[in-house]
Amino acid sequence: MPALRGSLTYARFFVAGDVPEDFREKYMRAIRLRAMKPIEPDDEELERSGWCKVGEPFEIELRYEDVFYNEYVNLGLRTDKWRLPASILKQRLREAEAAYLEKKGRERLGRAEKTELKEVVSRKLRKQTSPATRMIDLSWSMNEGVVRFFSHAEKAGAQMMEIFTKTFGLRLVPEAPYTLAARLGLSKAQESTWEELEMILLEKEEA
Amino acid sequence: MEAFERNELRRFVGRELLLWVWFESELFEGTLETKAHGSFGMWLEGRLVMSQGQEATTIKGSQPGNHREAKEALLRGKLPDVAALHLSWNEQDAMFTLKAETLNIAGLKLPRKGGDKTPGDAPGAVASLVRVDGPVKRARPRKRGNTAADVAAFESDEAHEDFYERMTVTREIEGIIEALYRDFLTLRLGPTWDAVIVPALEAWSSGEEVDAEAYAKARAKALGLARSR
Repeated sequence: MPALRGSLTYARFFVAGDVPEDFREKYMRAIRLRAMKPIEPDDEELERSGWCKVGEPFEIELRYEDVFYNEYVNLGLRTDKWRLPASILKQRLREAEAAYLEKKGRERLGRAEKTELKEVVSRKLRKQTSPATRMIDLSWSMNEGVVRFFSHAEKAGAQMMEIFTKTFGLRLVPEAPYTLAARLGLSKAQESTWEELEMILLEKEEA
Repeated sequence: MEAFERNELRRFVGRELLLWVWFESELFEGTLETKAHGSFGMWLEGRLVMSQGQEATTIKGSQPGNHREAKEALLRGKLPDVAALHLSWNEQDAMFTLKAETLNIAGLKLPRKGGDKTPGDAPGAVASLVRVDGPVKRARPRKRGNTAADVAAFESDEAHEDFYERMTVTREIEGIIEALYRDFLTLRLGPTWDAVIVPALEAWSSGEEVDAEAYAKARAKALGLARSR
């Protein structure tokens, strides 16, 4: 979902909280701290997210000019995830279980042994493949206090909000009819009316 | 009232916004106006999804709002959920889809650089509509005598300039949508809604004639506009 080319599909989030005066230095350090560290076969996590250069999922050594575009902070949210084909995993596990039982001269596996074997087989398989990499662009317009996240996927939005808050110490509020209304400014009377609103129905009862 | 109720239980306001935009674009033949922007073109184009609960109707076509099916869906209690819109302003055109309950934008096709009037038109179709408000592009440095660092720096600057230009137009479009929403809220949360807008919507959805002039007068009064229609 690119910010830099093609048509734009995005969700807006309003930034709640104040940006510190020395934000450029501070934020650059915080971004580097949470820059993507590619997931390895021996890692315990099966999925990991971190920042990368906007539009470039494999550029994770971030320089100042990669991130700051005048009043914008532009980043990519990269997520690596292991996706092992279930049928292959099942087959390899069956083979490993048979070999283990033969070696031990037994007929059945304990639950702990099964779990351990599955982990060993999965790790072996992970070493023979690569994790799936996904990247979604993000553009934070600091003057407006708006983050544009170039995806509508709820799960990805929630992940982004979490890592954004951890990185910048600021909360994000997803845009919705009420959050935009509040941002545009509602009077007290309008707030009261909002609370009483009922959806219009143009339905006609059939004669 | 809890934040959850204000937010989650009132997402239908976005559907009412789309309904109102659809209604006004038909009543005023594709010319809308806001207090902040004056007149501009906006109409439904391409796709309209209407729903009530789990039941949805999708209407496709150059003017989906004009389909008989669309009004019938309204009379069966459905409201717009997703609408593809065409926006024409300042001699530029953009198309995008607006999702009612999140106000998210999808598939925003920005006006082409170089001034094609319609996104996706043949190149050079409308030479008189060249945008003049975008940043002026620098010429690419000639290779001879330039280091790889010079070229990389130039490409980086170029990427930044493209981005600023895209964001400038995107923010303009968002500004128009926000101004429409602001005006809509003034009407929706004031006495004009029940007195003027709802009867007009009922008449329109039933295929009855709506007095556009009387509606425009009441609308302008509620929004504090000098009458421009």
